[in-house]
Amino acid sequence: MTRRNNHAPPTPLKDTTMLTIKNLHASIEEDGTEILKGLDLQVNAGEVHAIMGPNGSGKSTLASVLAGREDYEVTEGSIDFDGEDLLEMETDERAREGLFLAFQYPVELPGVSMSNFLKQAVNSVREHKGQDPLSAGDFLKLMKEKAALVHLDPSLKARSVNEGFSGGEKKRNEIFQLAMLDPKLAILDETDSGLDIDALRIVADGVNGLRGDDRAFVVITHYQRLLDYIVPDFVHVLVDGKIVMSGGKELALELEEKGYDWIKADAGQTV
Amino acid sequence: MPARLSEPDPIQPFTRTEEIVQIEQKLIEEINARLERQDANGGNGWASARRMAAGAFKEMGLPTKRSEAYKYTPVAKRVTDDLSLENSAGTVQADRKLEDVEGIHLSTTNGLLDSVPESLPEGLTISSLVDAYEGNRIFVNDHLSRAFVADRDAFSSLAAAAAEDGILIHAAAGAKIDTPIVIHHDTVSVSGLVQPRILVVADEGASLNLVERFGHAEGSSAFENRIAEMIVADGGSIDHVLIYERSQQSTFVNGLHVYQEGSSHYATNTITLGGGMVRNNLHFLPDGEECETHLNGLYIARGSQHIDNHTFVDHAKPNCESNELFKGVVADSATGVFNGKILVRQDSQKINAYQSSKSIVLDRSASVYAKPELEIYADDVRCSHGATTGELDEDALFYLRARGIKPEKARLLLLEAFARDVVDLIDQEPVRDYLYARLHSLLEAHAS
Repeated sequence: MTRRNNHAPPTPLKDTTMLTIKNLHASIEEDGTEILKGLDLQVNAGEVHAIMGPNGSGKSTLASVLAGREDYEVTEGSIDFDGEDLLEMETDERAREGLFLAFQYPVELPGVSMSNFLKQAVNSVREHKGQDPLSAGDFLKLMKEKAALVHLDPSLKARSVNEGFSGGEKKRNEIFQLAMLDPKLAILDETDSGLDIDALRIVADGVNGLRGDDRAFVVITHYQRLLDYIVPDFVHVLVDGKIVMSGGKELALELEEKGYDWIKADAGQTV
Repeated sequence: MPARLSEPDPIQPFTRTEEIVQIEQKLIEEINARLERQDANGGNGWASARRMAAGAFKEMGLPTKRSEAYKYTPVAKRVTDDLSLENSAGTVQADRKLEDVEGIHLSTTNGLLDSVPESLPEGLTISSLVDAYEGNRIFVNDHLSRAFVADRDAFSSLAAAAAEDGILIHAAAGAKIDTPIVIHHDTVSVSGLVQPRILVVADEGASLNLVERFGHAEGSSAFENRIAEMIVADGGSIDHVLIYERSQQSTFVNGLHVYQEGSSHYATNTITLGGGMVRNNLHFLPDGEECETHLNGLYIARGSQHIDNHTFVDHAKPNCESNELFKGVVADSATGVFNGKILVRQDSQKINAYQSSKSIVLDRSASVYAKPELEIYADDVRCSHGATTGELDEDALFYLRARGIKPEKARLLLLEAFARDVVDLIDQEPVRDYLYARLHSLLEAHAS
């Protein structure tokens, strides 16, 4: 673990814990292959954590497990989300409790209009918080305001969710939904994949506009590029289902320069 | 000009049970008795056409499961001893909907008009077939049985042989009838065999909209075997919506026979939400160039319902287009059947024919049989077909739930989106709104 000493030890910015993952083991439900092999992570309110790692290291599995996808089975460990046992909650409960996953591959929903979809989603969350459903007027106003954040055309409300959206529009739509649902914790799963530099900027600006003391982000990415725009407080390197190194934002630059091999070798020695 | 003879559905030789044979014989005797009675009373205008249809029915007999076209739909099981042309058990009123549709509203009892509207737009005739025959026998003789090929369809032959009267809707040449004609099939026999007949004609350059609803008639277990013929002359247009919502004790065989001349437009949306056993036999013959044919359908089958859509598009002439979309949601232990045949004849070049059938199966005990059939003898055509049957998309469900939407609401959203796709194609907004609401309440029960 010598290399970790080269970097500033991750000390929390605040002491309000949002997410605590302890010794998380998860396998593919279908064939039992273990993907996450003892992952630990703590995220506090107001922080932005980047999770980086080579292909196949388990980054997207982590996102899926956090969102509650049934394709994965948690075999060991615990996840505490703002004082609650996340693993006890269904996917939709997690979302209502304030966990948001921006999908790597947003799903097309032919025939389900954006406005109907968002109305149902926003009002589900509001109902959970004990708030009244938004009036039609307030809802439209909110949509207009949040769509502007990621430069989405307000006429999209009549379109089917993600159907016929370009790659960039789909990703911007994810951030738009994030803004509409106002979650406590947002997980961005490879949000930069498939984006050109302009779209990347728009998405990053949108995310930066949503940063705040009460909200935390976990940004999962393969490339350092996104982190030029969404500057993380912490960077973690995931290799073979475990976080093998953590540091500040400069760790991302080091990874960009040297690749992942030196960490893999290092991890090999220390495991 | 008579309709060109189309390829008959292959009728396999089969042995019929003694019981079925007896029922057939009884029905034939009843038809003959009717014809003789009418002969004695001065005759029925189209008696010879009826005799021909009776002969065709006698030849074909009632289809059983052994005939390929009825392999998955044992209509014969619904043919029981008490099926008779003479219904004496009284009638039942169906529920009445669609009253807010701005249109010419008509109601029927066992397929016959309760009354004929006093004032109609210029160029539009609505009357009983008998009255129409009195007024213009050449017109009726020319059009009746023009769209329908007697030796192709046993049930339609039976209905054509039995029906002594029916409904005529006729838009004269050039008449653009924008106001929809709404037929409420309100009153139906408690039981027995009901065989309504309707003839709809849009003459050259004429257009009309027809909306029909078979309302829920609690307490009726009638077997409705209907024959509908629609003739669209050169440059004419008919838009047709049929909504079937009878009770689960009811049986419906819906013989629709469409004949199109050149540059004409015909569209049907056949929405089947009710009935214990329903067989939609939908035949289309675009018999001129530049025809447009749209055949769309939706069904929701639940409980032990059995809903079968059999379509046949006979592209007899070049340069035509047909679009076909059939969707179904099948729940509980219900059954859905789709058989869509497209025939492109050898000289019918430049045909665009698209067919898609999609169904969602919600329960393990529900089943769907889908069979697209393309028979193409021309070489310069664009035809495609696709049939999918499956469960609700798990990825779509997960996506909705990841946004906080409860599973039952997420399922309802997806089911409604799936079904509304067909309803979206209907022109009249109040009809769409009625169906959206019906779909919502029907599907809600199956989303939890």
